[in-house]
Amino acid sequence: MRRSSEPLFWSLFSGGGMIMAILAPVLIVVTAYLVPADQVEFGRLHAIFTNFFARLGLIVLAFFTFMHAAHRLRHTLIEIGFKRFAQPIAAGSYLAALAGTVWAAVVAFS
Amino acid sequence: MVYPRQQSNFWYLKRWPYRIFILREFSAVFLAAYMVVLLILVMKVHDGPAAFHDFADTLQSPALIVFNTIALLFALLHTVTWFMAVPSAMQLRRGEEKVPPQLLIGAAYVLMLGASVVVLLLVLV
Amino acid sequence: MTVEATDGITVGPSARPSQDTISLEIARYRPGHDEHPTFESYDVPYRPEWVVLDALNYLKDQVDGTLSYRWSCRMGVCGSCGMMVNGVPKLTCATFLRDYLPGPIRVEALANFPIERDLVIVLDDFIEKLPKIKPWLVREVEQPLEEGEYLQTPKELADYKQYSMCINCMLCYSACPVYQNDEHFLGPALLALGQRYNHDSRDQGAAERHDVMWTSEGVWDCTFVGECSVVCPKHVDPAGAIQQAKVESTIGWQLSFAPPVPPLPFGRKQAEET
Repeated sequence: MRRSSEPLFWSLFSGGGMIMAILAPVLIVVTAYLVPADQVEFGRLHAIFTNFFARLGLIVLAFFTFMHAAHRLRHTLIEIGFKRFAQPIAAGSYLAALAGTVWAAVVAFS
Repeated sequence: MVYPRQQSNFWYLKRWPYRIFILREFSAVFLAAYMVVLLILVMKVHDGPAAFHDFADTLQSPALIVFNTIALLFALLHTVTWFMAVPSAMQLRRGEEKVPPQLLIGAAYVLMLGASVVVLLLVLV
Repeated sequence: MTVEATDGITVGPSARPSQDTISLEIARYRPGHDEHPTFESYDVPYRPEWVVLDALNYLKDQVDGTLSYRWSCRMGVCGSCGMMVNGVPKLTCATFLRDYLPGPIRVEALANFPIERDLVIVLDDFIEKLPKIKPWLVREVEQPLEEGEYLQTPKELADYKQYSMCINCMLCYSACPVYQNDEHFLGPALLALGQRYNHDSRDQGAAERHDVMWTSEGVWDCTFVGECSVVCPKHVDPAGAIQQAKVESTIGWQLSFAPPVPPLPFGRKQAEET
């Protein structure tokens, strides 16, 4: 059986899409509205983000979200007329997603 | 001599289903951009209370409020369109009968509401 | 309560302003004569029970005999009267004038296909791709005739029946921006057709079809715009078929990392015996 890379990227895309479909709205409400309105205590957030599993979870969340966005952006750009640049678009998108994940890991364990 | 059809460069602006498609696709950019905001928040929390409160003030700037509101709308568009697609990828069958798509979509929303409540409890209570 | 006897057909439309005629703007293209298609406007009698195809037939009979278009059954089965109606792919035999009041109605050849003449499209690309999907029952060994037909349970039938309803009307291709963008893309109807056979319990050709379908030109270039399923007059849901095939391709890809499984005894053994 021939191995295409698409199933790998599609799995990551789907995983990220599902996670963010479930979590994105509530997360945005928290950071965009509750944090500026002083509804969230610093101590609580500090306790969460220094928890080992929360750190891991943050990296996983960032990885899937960035891979989701990279995959979607790649296919969309090809479809709206940038087919000539399919290769660099794919490489650029996924590399940016990986770079973002590395940054997320640094942030999570800082 | 046949007349060849050319692709319009702006086909995605022509009809509403295509416009919604392109908005749906670009929701991913906003999700990624929001992820960056979230990571910056985590960074500030690790930097201590002063940095965190500074960032909370920054989040109140009009530009960020506008960005976050747009990101929220795109996130909701993503959620709605994603859940609508769930029955397409998960074609479950009970015997000869298809499991009704509404059931799968409903289950996804229940999952989402449950997760949202958990996040809010974690952060607020 | 009194119920007035009404003419069933005119109940809906009678609520709207009545009109005697409706205007049709038809894309005309005469090969060797026209550089590109141009719209010509025609007035036809408005009848609430008329579909767009009736209006075209009226024009061809009464006004301009050179108007060219394909049609056959007039009942949504033959799949030959697909055209763009106000920019949306439709079977013109099932598209009522009364839904486009007061008009005008724009009728064009199906999008994404070259135009042969007026409203007639060139289907060569689809016909060339069609055999790639092997749209027939592939058997390792044909069962001898005296053993009778291949039996199937209602559940096994339900597994593919929806995908077998396709009438090759090409509306899904016309609605698909990926097909428009990528000349190699097999397209919605063919991928649904592949699923139709892959999910048929009598068929043994799934592995051969996967080589064609689990590729970029197959399911992986699809971005799930979803319009193919919206315009499909037979509720085949090609978009769903493709999503399902993506899931199957992903599972197949994961299994390809697993250690090789000894060949299944069934089928193979049969082959050796005969």
